[in-house]
Amino acid sequence: MKFKKKFSPSGFIVLAIMAITLAAPILSPYDPYAIGVGEPFVGPGWKHLMGTDDLGRDLLSRVLYGGRITVFIALAATIIALIIGTLWGMIAGVQRGWVDEILMRTADATMAIPQILFALVCVAAVGASVVSLPIVVGILLSPTTARMARTAVVVELASDYVVAAKATGLKKSRLIMTEVLPNIAPQLLVQLSINAASAVMIEASLSFIGLGIQPPNASWGTLMLQGYGKLWNTYWFVLFPALVVTATILAFNSYGERIRVSLDSRKSSI
Amino acid sequence: MVLVFLSIRVLPGDPVLARLGAATEVTPEALKALRVEAGLDRSLLAQLFSWLSHAVRGDLGVSYISQFPVTQLVGERIPVTLELTFFIILLSCIFSLILAPLSILKPGGKLDRFIGSLTSIGLSVPGFVTGIIFILIFSLTLQWLPSLGYVPITEDLGKNLQLLIMPSITGALTATPYLVRYLRASMLEIKQSSFIRTAEGKGLSDSRIMFRHILPNSLVPTLTMLGLIVGYTLSGVIVIEYMFGLPGIGSLAIEGAFKRDYAIIQGVSLVIISLFILTTLLFDILCGIVDPRLRVTKERQNEI
Repeated sequence: MKFKKKFSPSGFIVLAIMAITLAAPILSPYDPYAIGVGEPFVGPGWKHLMGTDDLGRDLLSRVLYGGRITVFIALAATIIALIIGTLWGMIAGVQRGWVDEILMRTADATMAIPQILFALVCVAAVGASVVSLPIVVGILLSPTTARMARTAVVVELASDYVVAAKATGLKKSRLIMTEVLPNIAPQLLVQLSINAASAVMIEASLSFIGLGIQPPNASWGTLMLQGYGKLWNTYWFVLFPALVVTATILAFNSYGERIRVSLDSRKSSI
Repeated sequence: MVLVFLSIRVLPGDPVLARLGAATEVTPEALKALRVEAGLDRSLLAQLFSWLSHAVRGDLGVSYISQFPVTQLVGERIPVTLELTFFIILLSCIFSLILAPLSILKPGGKLDRFIGSLTSIGLSVPGFVTGIIFILIFSLTLQWLPSLGYVPITEDLGKNLQLLIMPSITGALTATPYLVRYLRASMLEIKQSSFIRTAEGKGLSDSRIMFRHILPNSLVPTLTMLGLIVGYTLSGVIVIEYMFGLPGIGSLAIEGAFKRDYAIIQGVSLVIISLFILTTLLFDILCGIVDPRLRVTKERQNEI
């Protein structure tokens, strides 16, 4: 599993976003919740790099702290989706037969519900918080992950080394854990990255329609909602969170794309 | 057939969640009485069955809060959603029919790579971000288009279209990348097949090969994809309707979610999912009509 060690701009940005949001308390010039650290609706300048919002709060600090919430939700959701989805897909791929049929039909059925709608229903039922959102989004993303994991497992199980391992009398559970799982890891990584992008998108959409993270806490989506409401006063307010969200999604997506391309070229070179 | 089955399997989620929501609330006695009236005290399965059997007859129940029949609420608002979805699909078809042929003129060439990166970016930009940028440019700066509101098509056609331009383009820009990618891939595949070489050998002009041979043949697989895209669009429409203040079923669902009005959310979910399944089915049938080869695939289905 060796990738060519080339500088990957998207990977760098992904890491940078995580590092920056993690270091939000150090980097933030002001307290994100402190009202009136500046005049309301100040444009971007040296004192406030992204300007201030309607209550005179420093937007840069708010975006940094908002990133913590958004990135945390995205990562937690991605991990949940990875665990559920991989188990789901692996069981289907290993067992085959009616288990496979039931599991995959359920995945299809869940995928038939438009994502935002599903999230809307869940959020209406259990409420939106930093705990519930990752779970909802994670469950939402697991069927696609399951599909991918199943295909990968089925392909791996048909390969020569698995046949050889079977011939040596390796136990099935051991075979899966020590042989198959490491070999589908790169594909899972691709899915992980794409899932992270979708998670950011879903969280931002939900918060943007006012059903996600509630004020005074603010994720990027919440900030955009607040900024959208003040669009006629100032456009910085909505533009910066929007740009940050888009850049993050783009980075996750292109990182996933990049790994997939290098995977494909590895496969075709064999 | 499978799809119809799916629709029924999909639904049990909603009443379960409805019950969860009811359980988390702290409830005085009056609320309890209301709950009995709405039938929320019965067992889940009983609720599900009575709701489903009513839904089949076109009765989606009564809104818990405003007491209006959900069918009426959905019926009032669905034309907006359908019109918007129609325009989104129309526009994204036009966009991709321009972009995909352009990009396979020279696969791997500059134009192809440019369109490729455009679609990658398009896939990553959330619909509401595009919407915000459009409002900033066309409503605030240039003041060409109004940003919010809706006028029924029966009242004023011009005004109606004017208000739908931005939401439609916003939606189309999120749907187009999928369509372009898919169309490009299938056009590329067909471009390399032997009958295109024959056509080239006959000395047909490039444009004739493109529009008479490659494009029609690649449209069939894309049709299936289009059905799925209609489904995704219906989902994206929820946010777009909300941000542009269009009174469609998407904003109805959001209002319902705010008020925790499960009857409305269930009703809208059912309608959207049924629409999704219907369009997918419709496009599947359409494929069979357009391309007879696709009809005899029963044995093949089991392979995957």
